Amino acid sequence: MVSQEPRPSSNPLLIRQVRKLLRQGFNWRYYLLGLGFVLLATLLGYLVREFLAPTNIIMIYLLCVTVSAIFCGLGPSILVSILSVLAFDVFFVPPYLTFAVEDTQYIFTFIVLLLVGMTISYLTSRVRQQTEAARRREQELAALYALGQDLAIASDLQSYTVSIIQRIKETLGHDVIIFLPDIQSKAKLKVYNGGVDVSVDSNEFTAAARSFQNKKIIGHGTDTLASAGAKYLPLVTTRGAVGVMAVKKTDTASELTIEQERLLEAYADLAAVAIEGIQLADELRSAQILKATEKLQTALLNAISHDLRTPLVSVIGALSSLQEEGMGLNDTAKESLIQVAREEAERLNHLITNLLDESRLEAGAMRLSRQPSEIHDLVGSTLEQLGSRASTRSIKMDIPAEMPFISVDFGLIVQALVNVLDNALKYSPPDSPIEIKGRQVAQEVHIEIADRGIGIPEQDLPYIFDKFYRIKRPDNVTGTGLGLSISRGVVEAHGGRIEAENRVDGGTIIRVILPVGERLNHMEKLNE
Amino acid sequence: MNSSKVLVVDDEDSIRRFLRVALASQTYTVFEAALGQEALSCVVEHKPDLVILDLGLPDIDGVEVTRLLREWTQIPIIILSVRGSESDKIAALDAGADDYLTKPFSVGELLARLRAALRRAAQTSSGPIFTINGLKVDLARRLVTIEDHEVQLTPNEYELLRLFVIHAGKVLTHRYLLREVWGAEYGDEFHMLHVNISNLRRKIEREPARPQFIITEPGVGYRLRIN
Repeated sequence: MVSQEPRPSSNPLLIRQVRKLLRQGFNWRYYLLGLGFVLLATLLGYLVREFLAPTNIIMIYLLCVTVSAIFCGLGPSILVSILSVLAFDVFFVPPYLTFAVEDTQYIFTFIVLLLVGMTISYLTSRVRQQTEAARRREQELAALYALGQDLAIASDLQSYTVSIIQRIKETLGHDVIIFLPDIQSKAKLKVYNGGVDVSVDSNEFTAAARSFQNKKIIGHGTDTLASAGAKYLPLVTTRGAVGVMAVKKTDTASELTIEQERLLEAYADLAAVAIEGIQLADELRSAQILKATEKLQTALLNAISHDLRTPLVSVIGALSSLQEEGMGLNDTAKESLIQVAREEAERLNHLITNLLDESRLEAGAMRLSRQPSEIHDLVGSTLEQLGSRASTRSIKMDIPAEMPFISVDFGLIVQALVNVLDNALKYSPPDSPIEIKGRQVAQEVHIEIADRGIGIPEQDLPYIFDKFYRIKRPDNVTGTGLGLSISRGVVEAHGGRIEAENRVDGGTIIRVILPVGERLNHMEKLNE
Repeated sequence: MNSSKVLVVDDEDSIRRFLRVALASQTYTVFEAALGQEALSCVVEHKPDLVILDLGLPDIDGVEVTRLLREWTQIPIIILSVRGSESDKIAALDAGADDYLTKPFSVGELLARLRAALRRAAQTSSGPIFTINGLKVDLARRLVTIEDHEVQLTPNEYELLRLFVIHAGKVLTHRYLLREVWGAEYGDEFHMLHVNISNLRRKIEREPARPQFIITEPGVGYRLRIN
């Protein structure tokens, strides 16, 4: 009912005061207290009437009015002024105990006493109100400052809304729900409740949407939708409405005063600016991400279209030669063409597998199905996968019989090891040995794959696990620059890491480090 | 020289085509189906000796086709699947499929698996003695020797080896082995299985990290290599 009235500042002072009196209601306690002061003054006056002239007893009443004005407010002190005049008349002006007056000059005393009493009441209550207003303003400022501080620390929409909701709950005692436009469809509003469980029905959504569209305060305490349970304040900035704040009175809280309404609006303004800021930052960020993604995709397409097409060139070339009857190929030539087509097709398959793995890793879509796995088994399966490429090379294995089981996705770790070993095989002379070493170091398992190749230039070491990174090599080794990056992705998804270093006497060591789960250690003991 | 009937179920025309050529050249009689439903009626109608079944069919899932077939026939089923769908593979094997191949595969590999599956199906009761590469398992006397030296196995290790031998060449899933050896309630105790396999390998393999007999099928299970 309060805010249906025009803004208080546009009203004459007196009307405001009267309204205020009305609004504060009849506080019986203050009036009773005032009555008590009058009684006390009368009693005191009665006791000293022998020693003081009636004109001086008036001073006691004036004191009484002043005290009432200070402690009880305007209304009670006006009452006290009137009662004081009456009491003075009845008890201290002859004839006593009647309202009649013998000496008519006392009429003048009464009028002056009344006027002075009223003036004191009025002035004192003004001072009181101003002090109170100053104190409230200070509180408001402190509350706004506190919210400002919260918002400065907050970094995302979620923490913003949480601070706003908590601040309003703290200072005003009202529940707040914030509605913001949905990121996908701007027309729809979404509830931000600051992590508190609230149910929002369709009526509330409709009201919020209306406030959002019209940029007007509606709901409880306004002309529009006055029957609604909450008040809807649009969060408006210069660019338009960024959201809606629904404020609902709780059972324990009282109705908001004019000052509190003003504070609420100040909160809404602050919230609007803050939310707009974060929305703009989000938009900017997603635009940047989009740009970066596009750039990456172009680079990726350029890189892989070449790598994808190269094997196909050989496959199509070899197969079409075979089909060409006029070429008069002998069996050896045919055999070698078939061999080329087969090898290149397998290379293409390997490349596509890697690309799929990489994209799944990148999309975070790689789901690990962990199983307790044995190091010997992992290494054995890796060699098995590489088939003749591994079995034709001298591979020295040094893995202790007693190694802990590690909880990993068997297939993925084998894939990671295949990529590392594949690199070692590719980049080392065919007659040089490959060493595979397994060790337990504290709560980790280290698997080292060492070759006697030409090593990796020192400046390239930090980058060899990066996507599409290929060291410039004089020899004609083909690859996509994806294998090691997938190995790293897989190992890191398991909470492990992968390292590369050059051997002092030539060659490279790639070290795959995986954590040993505590539970598995425990089970190991149970089984022995 | 052999006239076994093979049903190829795959919705990709080109895959059916090359399989038809490859299988026919080995004198197999080839039937084709592009859909699960077709496959089911074809098995009833033509009574093939083996089914090559793609998992990703447009109408009924390959796992479901396997289950439906297993309700009434023990015909060998070889699954074709793409890499990365381990859970589908396991589901198909648990539903009763005999073997699987990951696409792309070589025809040589397929023919080897196909012959092994047909051989297993034809064997009504082979003798109690199984021999491969120096490993000899005498099921009647519960005796395991490697290069004529007797190997001492724990009861669980022997039970595992026995399962591998009677299903030689077939992929046995982790869950199947656990249920058969330890019981249904141990179906998820993978660690127990892996420890026992590891111990068994140390006793029968010459180089446990490069096993010749018990081969790991990553993420799926194990198989006993037969050739």
